Amino acid sequence: MASSAAIHVAVIGAGIVGAAAAHFLAAAGARVTLLDASGPAAGATGASDGAVSVASKRPGPMMDLARHARAFYVRCERDGLFRGLFHRRSTFLVARTAVEAELVARHGADLAAAGERVVEVDRATLLARIPGLGASVCAALEIPDDGHALGYEITQRLLGRSRIAIRRNAPAAEIVMRAGRAAGVAIGDELVAADAVLVAAGIGSAPLLGLGEILIPRKGQMAVTDRASPSGPAIDGHLMAASYLAAKRGIAREDGHIGLVIDPLMTGQFLIGGSREDHRSDHATDARTIAAILREALDLYPPLAHRRVLRSFAGVRTASRDGLPIVGAHPRREGIVIATGFEGDGICLGPFMGACAARLLLGEAPAVDLKALSPQRFLRVEAHA
Amino acid sequence: MTEAPILIVGGGPAGASAAATLAEAGLPVLLVEQRDQLGGAIHRQPANGAGNHVWRPARHRRNWAALTARLRACAGMIEIRTQTVFLGVDGEGRFLFDDRRAGRVFASRPRAAIVAVGAVETIRPFPGWELPGVMTAGGAQVLLKETGRPPEGPILIAGSGPLLPALAAQLARAGNPPVAVLERGRPWRRPATLARLALAGGPMGEAAAYAAALALARVPYRGGAVVTRAEPDGAGLTVGMRIGADERVLRVRHLLIHDGIEPNRVGIPLPAPEAAVPVLLAGDGREALGADAALLDGRRAALQLLARLGAGAAELAGLESRLERARRVQAALAQALRSEPVEPAPETLICRCEGRSYADLQALDGDASAREIRLMGRFGLGACQGRFCGPMIAALRGRPVPAASPPRWPLRPVSVAALARLSTDETE
Ligand SMILES: Cc1cc2nc3c(=O)[nH]c(=O)nc-3n(C[C@H](O)[C@H](O)[C@H](O)COP(=O)(O)OP(=O)(O)OC[C@H]3O[C@@H](n4cnc5c(N)ncnc54)[C@H](O)[C@@H]3O)c2cc1C
Ligand SMILES: Cc1cc2nc3c(=O)[nH]c(=O)nc-3n(C[C@H](O)[C@H](O)[C@H](O)COP(=O)(O)OP(=O)(O)OC[C@H]3O[C@@H](n4cnc5c(N)ncnc54)[C@H](O)[C@@H]3O)c2cc1C
Repeated sequence: MASSAAIHVAVIGAGIVGAAAAHFLAAAGARVTLLDASGPAAGATGASDGAVSVASKRPGPMMDLARHARAFYVRCERDGLFRGLFHRRSTFLVARTAVEAELVARHGADLAAAGERVVEVDRATLLARIPGLGASVCAALEIPDDGHALGYEITQRLLGRSRIAIRRNAPAAEIVMRAGRAAGVAIGDELVAADAVLVAAGIGSAPLLGLGEILIPRKGQMAVTDRASPSGPAIDGHLMAASYLAAKRGIAREDGHIGLVIDPLMTGQFLIGGSREDHRSDHATDARTIAAILREALDLYPPLAHRRVLRSFAGVRTASRDGLPIVGAHPRREGIVIATGFEGDGICLGPFMGACAARLLLGEAPAVDLKALSPQRFLRVEAHA
Repeated sequence: MTEAPILIVGGGPAGASAAATLAEAGLPVLLVEQRDQLGGAIHRQPANGAGNHVWRPARHRRNWAALTARLRACAGMIEIRTQTVFLGVDGEGRFLFDDRRAGRVFASRPRAAIVAVGAVETIRPFPGWELPGVMTAGGAQVLLKETGRPPEGPILIAGSGPLLPALAAQLARAGNPPVAVLERGRPWRRPATLARLALAGGPMGEAAAYAAALALARVPYRGGAVVTRAEPDGAGLTVGMRIGADERVLRVRHLLIHDGIEPNRVGIPLPAPEAAVPVLLAGDGREALGADAALLDGRRAALQLLARLGAGAAELAGLESRLERARRVQAALAQALRSEPVEPAPETLICRCEGRSYADLQALDGDASAREIRLMGRFGLGACQGRFCGPMIAALRGRPVPAASPPRWPLRPVSVAALARLSTDETE
């Protein structure tokens, strides 16, 4: 492999993951060509919420990774890269039934076991913190160290700071292999030659790598309201219903496809979501789903009745079959690194995972052990199937 | 099951004309209008139910009286829902409406739709256009029509287009003529175009009547004149202007600005005349050709739809040629008033909802997509969703900002509570 100072990497996908990888590659002296089928943040990164949240993560490798990833945000905010874009704020996990309370308590125990600060909040305290909360809320946990960042703002900052020129409207059709290793990327008739290729193309990674059986598009619909406060978050924390946890922990429920979050944005607006619709990769929103989300939201936080919906939107999460991201070297094709499958967690994980992918491309060991995310695991599954 | 109605959105001349034509052909119609009365931009009625006394050419009043009589004659076929805002079409083909009276959103699946939502006013931004005391000329005209009273204190009208002298004449008739009308273009320098316009009849007679009223009230009408900035000044404004090569300053109470109109397309479904549920556009919302053409265009859309639904249609060719004439008049008018774009100062506000300036727009990459302009630039993310700043941005960048696809709903802000109470006509 060429020395890291000379290596030329083609990064496919200018979402938060590709932008972060490109940024840290360039910072390490690599030459970077960043390609996107459309433009920066054109995928899930520009159509999502921005919870940088450990509170919501499944126990196990995801919870641990999210702690690293959130710490990475805190560092980047402190050293100036993310200054003004990452905001610390609490997550409240709220339960509205006894069953939900049990789930929340179990999740809180898992968080504490992973080393996370968890504070039990009774209804009265919670009401003082978030006046107007719905009558059905019976139990809550506060996770005080979480935060928020908008994916498209982080993407823009990462690209702006490293002055990486992005090639828009450049859909990669194929990764060209020569003598058993990646030689570049084909865009139409053009070959963009490169020493190594990072595939960070979200759901677009599936056709590029033949991962159609492994990656599932999961649409999420959300609604944005007008401002409840002239600036700054309208309430003192991010409300995450137990239904969201259930969705994340893989627990099926009847009203299954809605995992409710009410997110107070820095603009004073609320972002309310969201649905989880498997095998849907379109960006349409429908009134039935949005109305159902709003009914849930009104039950949890009735003062929303005074707000107006400004717009609805949908984004497409990229889920892997086993629910974990896919980050690591391609098991069979040398010179290709994969970073996709971040489902509903890529804003939180993205910058850190992009930095890890950059190190892999430079032939260095990533900051944490990524074995659980290795693409290798699907080879094994395939062999046993 | 009763036959699903044909939906008509917008109760202006185009929508009302389409509704009457379809109902006369025996088809049930649902006519939806966001205001509390039909009439559209030109026949706006006072809020209290009194008559609209703002001076308008008699031809418009006669046309509207004839149209409302036709609507009354087939009232049995037309369900009119006022105070009902069309919110767009969702991803599953539901047409969505905000019934503001009931405080509830309802969805329906019409047999076909004609969307006639009119035009939006455009302006050319300058520092201070967002200040209190500055209003669009169209907005001021609506106020005049709804209250019957002109604003008090000195008024300056500036921008470009035929609305400027029309509004000035109406204000003069109502008792407060503006101190001046500043027209950006220099119509007098294009005599050939003016001559062609003079031969066009109808609209020009209107212009002559307005001109006479302005002369009578001694309102100066200056060509090649632009506002360069406005600053707060006590209860009023100090307005800087350039007239030819002269810079001048004027103190006024109100500054009314206007630079033409454009079809209102934000969130509006794309025309699809051949789809299973055909969607047609009509009136100024399809092509801004003015009030007379809107009547014809509503009828044209209705006849086209009748043909598509197999109910036969004649007369289309005649309508098309009259529309073509209106198109030529508008083109000549635009030609006569054409002026070079002026680059605004960097601090000039572009997106009022989100407080974004021209400098913010320039900070975006030259090849930034519509999505980047929205997300990274925060342009058009606010209450108007780009309806107002979209045309400005397009003019400043010299190319249209592509619409979101699929078109986004709600196309107007809608109460969370109302949307949560969604009702549909579906059997689920
Ligand atoms: C509704 C919703 C809410 C969410 N909320 C949160 C949250 O609160 N917290 C959180 O952490 N995460 C959240 N997420 C998840 C997060 O948005 C994603 O995990 C993250 O954005 C993924 O980033 P990415 O860079 O991997 O992919 P994307 O952002 O999808 O980027 C992929 C890019 O690749 C490009 N591309 C695709 N194919 C090609 C090709 N062949 N050639 C060139 N370019 C190509 C695309 O144009 C796109 O720009 C949410 C997601 C959704 C949909
Ligand atoms: C500011 C202004 C001033 C004008 N002055 C003159 C003039 O002096 N002389 C002249 O000849 N012409 C004038 N015109 C043009 C004339 O008003 C139009 O050509 C004519 O009214 C167009 O008719 P229309 O039916 O296409 O649209 P409109 O008359 O604009 O009617 C559209 C209707 O749709 C309704 N609507 C819009 N959106 C929705 C929604 N989402 N849901 C429900 N209802 C909705 C509106 O309330 C309105 O009633 C002016 C236009 C404007 C905008």
